[in-house]
Amino acid sequence: MFLTSLRIALRSVFRAKLRAFLTVLGILIGVAAVVIVTAIGTGVQDKVVQVIQSIGSNSILVITRPVQKSGARGTSGSSGKLSDSDIDAILREATSVEAIAPMVSANAQIVVADRNTSTGIIGTNGDYLRVRGYTLRSGAMWSDSDERAKSKVCVLGATTAETLFGSEDPVGRVLRIGKHAFRVVGTLARKGQSLGGEDPDDRVLVPIGTFRARIMPLPPGRVFLLIASAREARLIDRASNQIQSILRQRHRIGEDDEDDFVVHTQAEFMKMQEEIFSTLQMLLLGIAVVSLVVGGIGVMNIMLVSVTERTREIGIRMAIGAREEHIMGQFLVEALVLCAVGGVAGAAVGLAVIQILTLSLGWSMILPPEALVAALVTSATIGIVFGFFPARRAAKLDPIDALHHD
Amino acid sequence: MGTPIIELEAVGKDYVSGPSVVRALASVTLTVDHGEFVAVVGPSGSGKSTMMNIIGCLDRPSHGAYRLANISVESRSNNARAVLRNRLIGFVFQGFNLLPRTTALENVELPLVYRGQSKKARREMATHALDQVGLRDRMHHTPNQLSGGQQQRVAIARALVTDPPLLLADEPTGNLDSRTSDEILALLQALNRDRGITIVMVTHESDVAGCASRVIIMRDGDVRSDKRQDTPRDAAEAAKAARAAADHPPESSRGSP
Repeated sequence: MFLTSLRIALRSVFRAKLRAFLTVLGILIGVAAVVIVTAIGTGVQDKVVQVIQSIGSNSILVITRPVQKSGARGTSGSSGKLSDSDIDAILREATSVEAIAPMVSANAQIVVADRNTSTGIIGTNGDYLRVRGYTLRSGAMWSDSDERAKSKVCVLGATTAETLFGSEDPVGRVLRIGKHAFRVVGTLARKGQSLGGEDPDDRVLVPIGTFRARIMPLPPGRVFLLIASAREARLIDRASNQIQSILRQRHRIGEDDEDDFVVHTQAEFMKMQEEIFSTLQMLLLGIAVVSLVVGGIGVMNIMLVSVTERTREIGIRMAIGAREEHIMGQFLVEALVLCAVGGVAGAAVGLAVIQILTLSLGWSMILPPEALVAALVTSATIGIVFGFFPARRAAKLDPIDALHHD
Repeated sequence: MGTPIIELEAVGKDYVSGPSVVRALASVTLTVDHGEFVAVVGPSGSGKSTMMNIIGCLDRPSHGAYRLANISVESRSNNARAVLRNRLIGFVFQGFNLLPRTTALENVELPLVYRGQSKKARREMATHALDQVGLRDRMHHTPNQLSGGQQQRVAIARALVTDPPLLLADEPTGNLDSRTSDEILALLQALNRDRGITIVMVTHESDVAGCASRVIIMRDGDVRSDKRQDTPRDAAEAAKAARAAADHPPESSRGSP
């Protein structure tokens, strides 16, 4: 019986090709939209999770913030600068902080024999690897004495090492940063994940003292930002509170004055980003669902037209013995066919768009298989829900009236 | 024969439209036996169509009792009446009422679809039915590729394919020229004579009614006269004579492709 209904349905769909196509298009767009939006959202979410894992969710960022003092008091702004001595104080007093690294950075040209590249140079200390979650691939981090002596040594990120030395191990080799020669003491293992599109493996680490002396003239002790890590993930909030109160004290910030620095936890960053994305995704998904419902209304409309057009046919079928469920089944299957075709085509279009976006824009999009199933089930459900009313209307027709309809 | 197939007892039908009640059928008591060929004649509005709809289980009487093949029908559900139509009755309409853009074979198969017959059995039975009405070679044609007479033959094949004891024909020749009409009538007479199928046929042409063995005249919702005809007109003879006169085959009588 179902097969017969299917055959009848297919035939009537094929009879009105343009109409069927337009109806299917409505469902197609809805399903494709749902598929694409879900894939984008899942891709972003997945990336955020990966980044959090790779950075280490227990790291804390301290950055300076220019403070606008109230006009009445303010002449010279307070320093609002972070320094080496802040680091020492935090290490000494903040019990929940495990490690802390200062950071200054600049872009510079690096030259090795005939190759060169321009990349970010980061001046920091030996704790940088731990707070950022890097590991060494070869060589070693520079020693404390290198730091004190402002030795011209450096550690290369994986991408930088590859650009400059190919597959060779650069440890022991010499390169030039600006006009100074630096000896490579180690290379970092590839980390490979970042949200902003910035490559975390394209960088060169040098001792912070060396940086201030050789790469970018800065006052002694001056730091752009601090990166700390908590002893345990659950101690992050306590650690960031400790850092905040130590810095307030050291920067002599009054009770009612604002901090001249901002403490961010990495997780908070990520969470914020994730929240923005998930809000955006809900919005897009909402629009996609609305378009699916609009598609469903289109199906209902067409089914009502189809029932009216074929009233006489329904009468004939009833006269020769079709029961209500036969007529109902015929039109339900027709609606279902329209929606199923729309659903499958929509999923295909969605997948194609995902492929194109992934290949051409490098977007990371992941389509969970259950989302595909959900889209198809939804379109079938729409077929049944929006096909039900027209089908019932057909089944409830009076055979005599239907036979005499023209 | 003597065993009744249709038993109407004081059957009436009122149509209520707003405040007024229209009495379409007053109170008809009528019995038709197995194997009869009954013509129902009357002007429009005489209630003959209403009576046919009730006999055909398409409509319910407002009052009275109706037994079809010993089954009491008047209070059955829509679905139960659909099953009765499918099992006991074959319909032939004035406008043929074939499904458009559907081949003759598929049209004839349709009642069997609703009977749940297998595809193979359907095909066999439908082919056989088309063979009986002489359209085996046209079975893959759609209605618009067939002449009116051929379309009506397909409709008769569709009515016969379930092998029903009762055939209801509502002005079966109303849309046909007289020669084709005679051919259709000859077919009906043959079915009645050779297979014992009971036929009830509505018509307003006395020529057509003359082919039946019993003529019922209706007026104002009631039976006015009910007469048997011992020597009905032989439509086959008439058709043969007309064919001889025209001197070409009947299929070309109405622009067959």
